[in-house]
Amino acid sequence: MNINHTFQTLKLAVVSVMTISTLLVVAEVDAKKPFNAVEKEDQMNMLMAAVKKGDDLWHNPGLGSNGLACGNCHPDGSATNPHTWPKYQTNLGKVGTLREMINWCIAVPMVGKPLALDSEDMVAMEAYVMYTHRGVAIAPAKDEQHGAVPVVSGPGYPNADAGNR
Amino acid sequence: MKKISRREFLGVSLKTGVATMFAGMFAPTATSMMGLGGIAHASTKKLSPFTFAVLTDAHLYDIPDHKFDAILAKGVADVNSLKPQPDFVLYAGDLGQSGKEAELIKGKKILDKLKMPYKIIPGEHDYYLDMGKAWRGLFGDEHWSFDHNGSHIIGMNSILVEDFWSMANLTPKERMGRMEELECHRCGLWGVGEKQLDWLEKDVKKLSPDTPIIIMTHSPLWDYYPRWNFQTLDAPEIRMLLRKFEKVMAIHGHVHQVVYNSIGNISSAGLLSTSWPWPYPPVELPYPNIKMNRVDPGDFEDGLGSHKIDVATSFDGEINYRAFSDLLPENVKRGVKL
Repeated sequence: MNINHTFQTLKLAVVSVMTISTLLVVAEVDAKKPFNAVEKEDQMNMLMAAVKKGDDLWHNPGLGSNGLACGNCHPDGSATNPHTWPKYQTNLGKVGTLREMINWCIAVPMVGKPLALDSEDMVAMEAYVMYTHRGVAIAPAKDEQHGAVPVVSGPGYPNADAGNR
Repeated sequence: MKKISRREFLGVSLKTGVATMFAGMFAPTATSMMGLGGIAHASTKKLSPFTFAVLTDAHLYDIPDHKFDAILAKGVADVNSLKPQPDFVLYAGDLGQSGKEAELIKGKKILDKLKMPYKIIPGEHDYYLDMGKAWRGLFGDEHWSFDHNGSHIIGMNSILVEDFWSMANLTPKERMGRMEELECHRCGLWGVGEKQLDWLEKDVKKLSPDTPIIIMTHSPLWDYYPRWNFQTLDAPEIRMLLRKFEKVMAIHGHVHQVVYNSIGNISSAGLLSTSWPWPYPPVELPYPNIKMNRVDPGDFEDGLGSHKIDVATSFDGEINYRAFSDLLPENVKRGVKL
């Protein structure tokens, strides 16, 4: 082993140590502690409050003027296919968003006044629809009607006989 | 000796009958074959063929010139235009939306334009504002039966729930408001109840097993999707009481869609509304080939329609869904055997 080679090896080692320590420092600066259980619960509670608000609005005929609510045609948010948006929608005549489609339904079949797209009410309705379709794979423009997540009914269920479940 | 209730009796018989009842969903069992097979079929009482029509679920609002008024009127005009003219019309409930007398009066006025007699049962939307008072005042009994050309036709109120409002101190309007939601979290499952079961037992007691039976309820007589009350709690008891008959045709409203099922000797068909269509719930259909297409929300008549049911001499039935827009796949367009 000649001196030159030893020097080169040493230089490489120093550079490597420096690089690793730099990375460690950067990592330490960028890292964010995971949310703790209390924070996570708070966040979920806030989301659920929005979902609940969305559920109430979804079943509120007050958004329209002819007695209809979103829930008349879309129980549990069904047939909204949130996993397929944005997409080209014939009634909108363009590539639009789920929120724009909600507004179209308020304006046309329900004969009501569309909401501001970034309003708290609109976000709540979107939260409700997304939550009832949790776990459904995102599929832009997929031509299918996907059901909401199945929900077990209230007291008295299950009825033991004759099910296809 | 302690009197055994129907449910207890059924509970006992289910222990030996579970496999049969489940299998009955998809394949004929020994018992159901008696109703469907060739030998038993040949012995089914001959009847004079006839046609009847069915309308349902108009969900009329107490708002002048509401769009649903015109759609019900269109259904009535469609039925009136049928040739040959149906012998009678059945209406499977939910004439009104919020149980108001004004909605029911408006509906009756439109239905009274039918050229043939009609029989009607209540749906939950007709009922829970005043517990059916206005409805009974206009239409009479909530359950009934009559004979026609050798067949026996039954209508029953299948939307009776347990009292969820007294303890919660709800006003009649609040009670109705909750029932108006299809996915009501707090309303519970509905059924026909003991009194109507007693009535049904008496009603069919003297009929011979070869009598063709047609039964109409608002909700399906099978467990479809209880979450949306696409069920009737005491359907097993009803099926038990009708088990002696060779063949039973069941039709039901409430689901606002094309759907079919066959359990033992009962074939049942769901009906289109004249208000709005409902998507299929997130369960597999027992007969996935009998369904409607997706609807266009921009076409207010898509997913809606009336129905004509032909009943042949040997009690072979066929339901024709008369969709107001292009809704049906070819196989359903040709008619569904009942």
